[in-house]
Amino acid sequence: MLFVAVTVVYPLIYSVLQAFQDVGLREVIRGGAEWVGFANFADQFGRAEFWQALWLSLVYTIGTVALTYVGGLALAMLFVHRFAGRNVMRALLMLAWILPTVVGANVWRWLLDGSYGLLNATLRGLGLIAGDVFWLGQPGPALVSVIVATAWSFAPFAMILLVAALQGVPATLYEAARIDGATTWQQFRHVTLPALRPVSITVMLLIFIFAFKTFDTIYLMTRGGPGGATLTLPLYAFQEAFEFRRYDTAAVATTVMLFVPLVLSVFYFRSLRNEEAA
Amino acid sequence: MTRERTRLVIGVVVTAVYLLPVYWMLNTSLKEQAEVFARPPALVPVPPTLAAYQSAVFGDPDIARGLVNTFVIATGTTVLTLVVAVPAAFALARLRVRWVTPALLLFLAVQMIPAVNLALPMFVLFGRVGLVNTYAGLIVANCSLSIPLAITIMRPYFLSVPGEVLEAARVDGCTTFGAFVRVALPVSIPGLITMAVVSFLGAWGEFVFGLALATGDELQPVSVVIAKLTNAYGTRWNELMAVSAVVAVPVIVLFVLLQRYIVAGLTDGATKG
Repeated sequence: MLFVAVTVVYPLIYSVLQAFQDVGLREVIRGGAEWVGFANFADQFGRAEFWQALWLSLVYTIGTVALTYVGGLALAMLFVHRFAGRNVMRALLMLAWILPTVVGANVWRWLLDGSYGLLNATLRGLGLIAGDVFWLGQPGPALVSVIVATAWSFAPFAMILLVAALQGVPATLYEAARIDGATTWQQFRHVTLPALRPVSITVMLLIFIFAFKTFDTIYLMTRGGPGGATLTLPLYAFQEAFEFRRYDTAAVATTVMLFVPLVLSVFYFRSLRNEEAA
Repeated sequence: MTRERTRLVIGVVVTAVYLLPVYWMLNTSLKEQAEVFARPPALVPVPPTLAAYQSAVFGDPDIARGLVNTFVIATGTTVLTLVVAVPAAFALARLRVRWVTPALLLFLAVQMIPAVNLALPMFVLFGRVGLVNTYAGLIVANCSLSIPLAITIMRPYFLSVPGEVLEAARVDGCTTFGAFVRVALPVSIPGLITMAVVSFLGAWGEFVFGLALATGDELQPVSVVIAKLTNAYGTRWNELMAVSAVVAVPVIVLFVLLQRYIVAGLTDGATKG
């Protein structure tokens, strides 16, 4: 308890307080800073870069949640059935989730390389592109690329949670639907999805929180570039602090970042409780 | 039966495609520099060579030192996590302590906090007490995340030890501590393994704290060294992939050996309310 209080709670409070002070490099070294009220917030909220970072964070996060959930559910629908080697394959997929992000990010950079990457080689082989496409060198494709790389590592995690939930759907429900003449798609739409609802909400909230705080994958793949196209809020805060030495405005950004998971955590705990009650 | 076979085929294809990036890393790491530029790229390295490992991992003092640093930090984090989290989890499970529920909620909430949110104030605060650019600072930073997770993983194991057994141990003359060491710990070994492995893996791949808190070259974990050298590698992808593979191998080995502990730890730790 004490350890957590010292290493987590104290830095967090300290950081929030910094947001209300005038803190540059000089103040960090010498200590002591002037209280400036909400001036830092006013400064940040008046800056286009800040809103751009917040917006990119939301696009990145929602994109990652959608792709992870759809991918995870597809994997779960396949791997919930019994067949030879299923458990081994399920475990192998988890590798993507536990691999260090520095490994995953660099491998994806290599796969997406414009000149010699495997993706472009495949696309050229299929005749879909003619020359080199630099996926990480253009704003839109770069954002999509980091979303795909993130979802690649998150989806097996979603799969495990969703498989457990799928196993809990009573077989009699499917039987009843089949007797009523439901097609496979209708069974999925009207039996599977509603039955998975509570777990789906949990999974989406968790992935949202994970994705929103992602720093390493993006930093390693694009450094927030090109031209700030993937500069999400965590990268923005880091850049403010370690490149521009503006610790106060960085603290504003992290304080805003704190609010999003805080609000979602409340929803998350509530959904957990509902799940237990049901 | 045929349906099962179809699923098997789909399963194999999906798994293979999904792990293609991992295969491509190993494939590239075993190639010569010239082969990296082949268009189209060779699907298998012919002949496979360890040249990239030699030059980039063992022949590069920065990377070698980074690997040592990562190992020290990850081991230190694991040890400190065990030392703090095991008694804490026992206390929260078995002793009458106030504030148990809020504490558990806090631990769960800690896992949702962005690492950047901790790294930035830690940089300033650690600077005041001389912890920036020290192993101790990096270990403490890693522990700030691993200890709450470890307690969350560990507590259910201690809860599952029947109270009567602990009572009996005390009647036989054990102290609370003795009952903890002789009765509760031995039956909680799976939990101990889980939390040790999860702590180690978490610290092994850690990046943000290393980037923010190891300002000098000497103590940077390998993840940060790679990031720094990314531009230096330029198009020497075989070397970059060799380094990545070396970072990945301990994770893969631990995962293969202790798969069930890890999966249980990672999913339970994140979802148990």
